Amino acid sequence: MAESLTDAYQKPTQPPASAAYVRRRGRDFVVSLYGTVRAIKLYPVEHTAVQKTLSELAQIAGEILDREKELEFRLSGEFLFINSTRLRLDLTNYASFGYLLRLCRGAGIGTIKVHDRAPTRSWLVLLSLLDAQTSLDPHERFDEIAVHLAQTHIAGIEILPPVENEADREFAEQARQAATRTYTRSVAVTKDVINSVRMGRAPSIKKIKRVVQGIVDQILNEETSLVGLTAIRDYDEYTFTHSVNVCIFAVALGRRLGMTKNQLFDLGLSALMHDIGKSRVPINCLHKSDELLDAEWRQIAAHPWLGVLVLFNLRGQQEEVSYRAMTVSYEHHMRGDLSGYPKNIRARSVCMTSKIVAVADGYDAATSRRAYQTTPYPPSAVLQEMRDNPGRGMDPVVVKAFINLLGIYPVGTLVVLDTFELAVVYAANHSIDALSRPTVKIVSDAQGIMLRPAPEVDLALQDLSGEYPRTIIKTADPARYGIDVGDYFV
Amino acid sequence: MPAAAQLAGTSVELPFAQSLVTEALRLFAKAIRAHQLYLPNNPMHVRAMEAARGGFRAVWDEADTLTLAVTDAELRWLDRPVLDEPGRTSDSIPWMFFKDGVRELLFRKGFEDEELIPLLALLQRARLASAEEDDLLTLLWERDFSFLQYKYVDLAMEGTPVLERGAPDDRERILAPGSIETDAHLLASSSITRMDEYDSTLYFLDDREIDYLQGEIRADFSSDLRERVIASLLDTYEQQSDAAVREEIAGILDSLFLLLLSLTQFRTGAFLIREAALTVGRSRDLSLAERQRLVELSDRLSEKEIFEQLLHALEDTVLRPPQDDLQELFSQLKPVALETLLSWIGRSRNADLRLLLEAAGSRLASAHTSELVRLISSPDDVVAFEAVRRAGAMKSTAAVAALAGVIAHGSPELRLAGVAALSDIGSPGALQVLERALEDEDRDIRVATVRMLGSRNHRAALSGIENHIRTPTLRSGTLAEKMAFFEGYGTLCGDEGVPFLNAILNTRGLLGRREDAELRACAAMALGKVGTDSALMALQRALADRDVIVRSAVSRAVRG
Repeated sequence: MAESLTDAYQKPTQPPASAAYVRRRGRDFVVSLYGTVRAIKLYPVEHTAVQKTLSELAQIAGEILDREKELEFRLSGEFLFINSTRLRLDLTNYASFGYLLRLCRGAGIGTIKVHDRAPTRSWLVLLSLLDAQTSLDPHERFDEIAVHLAQTHIAGIEILPPVENEADREFAEQARQAATRTYTRSVAVTKDVINSVRMGRAPSIKKIKRVVQGIVDQILNEETSLVGLTAIRDYDEYTFTHSVNVCIFAVALGRRLGMTKNQLFDLGLSALMHDIGKSRVPINCLHKSDELLDAEWRQIAAHPWLGVLVLFNLRGQQEEVSYRAMTVSYEHHMRGDLSGYPKNIRARSVCMTSKIVAVADGYDAATSRRAYQTTPYPPSAVLQEMRDNPGRGMDPVVVKAFINLLGIYPVGTLVVLDTFELAVVYAANHSIDALSRPTVKIVSDAQGIMLRPAPEVDLALQDLSGEYPRTIIKTADPARYGIDVGDYFV
Repeated sequence: MPAAAQLAGTSVELPFAQSLVTEALRLFAKAIRAHQLYLPNNPMHVRAMEAARGGFRAVWDEADTLTLAVTDAELRWLDRPVLDEPGRTSDSIPWMFFKDGVRELLFRKGFEDEELIPLLALLQRARLASAEEDDLLTLLWERDFSFLQYKYVDLAMEGTPVLERGAPDDRERILAPGSIETDAHLLASSSITRMDEYDSTLYFLDDREIDYLQGEIRADFSSDLRERVIASLLDTYEQQSDAAVREEIAGILDSLFLLLLSLTQFRTGAFLIREAALTVGRSRDLSLAERQRLVELSDRLSEKEIFEQLLHALEDTVLRPPQDDLQELFSQLKPVALETLLSWIGRSRNADLRLLLEAAGSRLASAHTSELVRLISSPDDVVAFEAVRRAGAMKSTAAVAALAGVIAHGSPELRLAGVAALSDIGSPGALQVLERALEDEDRDIRVATVRMLGSRNHRAALSGIENHIRTPTLRSGTLAEKMAFFEGYGTLCGDEGVPFLNAILNTRGLLGRREDAELRACAAMALGKVGTDSALMALQRALADRDVIVRSAVSRAVRG
């Protein structure tokens, strides 16, 4: 028996009206904080840009404080909290989130508490200290900043070191477990659906919906674990894991683009079902490893429009058809200039949902091992190809947003570090300054000795001398080392 | 209120009195029933909602949240039953939640103001839902309540096999990267990511790009995708020559069309028919049967039963879709629909709908005159009446023969409409047929006919009108009929008729008696219509007539 929690139920610490306010105004606060740090970095203190951002920051902080009676900016794992509300990433704030996370981590700060109405001078001093170049490690930097704040009599702002409390650890572990459960169940249901259609049986629409709801909830709650699981890429279950992966990528991208929960559901359902037409294509064509004959190719190229027919048959007597899923099934191999397949007779432009799914589909397909692609392409090379080759016909802005979601080294990429350790990319770093420095799990040392459990390392952290202890030098083929990267996400 | 209460026999201390929760739940249950039974403006409904709100507010005086466990027959608070409704039916509130997997409910302060009504509406929808429709869990998920959270067990997922992964990798050592990755060739390979390839301007979205994406998403989610899907189906139909595929698509389009009508998606329905017709016109490789199948799509709308159902729905529905959507749909009607259309024009009590039907009827009738002519002879008087009316409005000479039939055999109402239609048509043939109506047994029709003939200045009818004037039957008729005939006569006769009219107005009979005053007044009016000098002279003579009726008529006639 499956047991799940709804999104808001997991941290029911604040009244909803307050949480909504904090989420909205907290986002403004973080963006303003980021803007101020950047302004201080670029201009002299007396410059109007600095003064303006400082006063805006102080004003937003004061407003939150007045209304909520407290203002606490807290880091927990890869999340930012304002008071007890976790802020959600979206298209307009991901850069600021990543940057501030890294800045605070580097300064050994876990929490910034604001008391009363902190004057702009207090903010100026704190943020200048945060951004200062130094060779100290985070603990020492924290002490240094704390002393400096005390000596300069900074009022209204207090910094605290990071405290990984039991609740945070439990939350992270719960999220990981929930992600694994969601993922495996999604693959199982997808398998059941595709096989049912192939055998002429009616699959359970309720199960399909529940799967997509689960994925949307998971992405909204804690994205990293689920996106990480897309690295599993099980060859034997390719057809099913591919559909689930495309669904996960699409929903994660949709969330980044600011879609609402119900829009994400529509997008997710469409993505999960995008290849449903393949259930009407002979299996021997789908699994053929040799070059396809023309007739076989035509059968495979029929899957987009076959998908529309399958989806019409799927709907119950009373149920409104998912026209979006049909549209996506039909358009996901269409390029921006309407080349690709199927061919159009009537005028159309490819809709945004289809463009998103096309990017997710193209990425997952190219990075997976399949019957006719025994060696998958490295994820980073695929992203680069998607970005640089207009012949692929993908929407360049959607591709950009997708790269931005996955990072230069997408989750699941096997990389060689300059220490000659092997590592699997575990989570992307969204900060502009740390594009090439994701969080990784070290698989083996330079001698090839496997490390268990694989230590998790943030490549963006510097050592005492201000150097990066580890840097990625190249990506590697997991098959070459006999490594199943999926093992590092389950 | 006690700060804490304790239940006999248990050691768990309650934070506040159980009776508060029990009462809140009792009122909540009553609100659910009231929402099922009454409209929101009903005082019973209003009272029940207010009571339920009051119940929750009493709880919020003690706590900010209320968590309830759900069993198949009870809602329980801190392991005590607070709502007991045994019986596994949709009337039992615990069972409604339980059967779809909800196992715990958490209400927050503010629920009663913000989300009580939406929850009641949702429960009502779930109660009435069929097995194929969304269950309570999906409805709750979609509604995304802020003041109500829930825990659930996913019954739909029961029995779903969990995918097993293979045995874990237990190797102690693998290839050392250092031993194989130092090769110069490998290091130069494409797997090395060059950072200059990832200039941040290429990697991060600028404001313009963010606007583009958000605009596209807005457009995407506000557009109707049905037309896109129909276009996909028809494009496929045109490109796939496989008969089975075409048959499947035709079947889908057929059922989709009915679905669109039932959902009042008229514009999309019209799109479907129009595009299907385009496919028929464009595709050269369609078999006769395939062609026929697509043509039938638009025929179906025009089928009496289907079209009547649509009109019924439109007539009975208060809210209507935009009228241009309907116009779009009606523009796809076939001639066979004209009969139904005309029948509804005559019967509809909905002014907006009637206007649309009139427009559609005019379009169809003018494009398909033969169908209109056929309907003039319809056994359904309502249809025949509208067809006659429309034939007149269209000045359709092709309808004259059928109208002659109406004049001869139709009901009085229909004959009257026929007279008007023939007059509107106004062709020599039409007016010739119209003359026959001078002999109609119905006085109103005779009066209308003579007026029409007069207004059309149809001199050929003069002798027929004169015959009437001279017959004794007219003299015993009503003043209106006399007046109509005399005026008609005056309009058509010219100077030649003046002596006859003057004789009636001014001359005495053998015994020195004049004609009766009404007849003389009619003659005066007729002379007024003639309007020549001789006619005016005849009128002058009667200006001082002693009979007030005559004098008044003469005076009016002279004034013109």
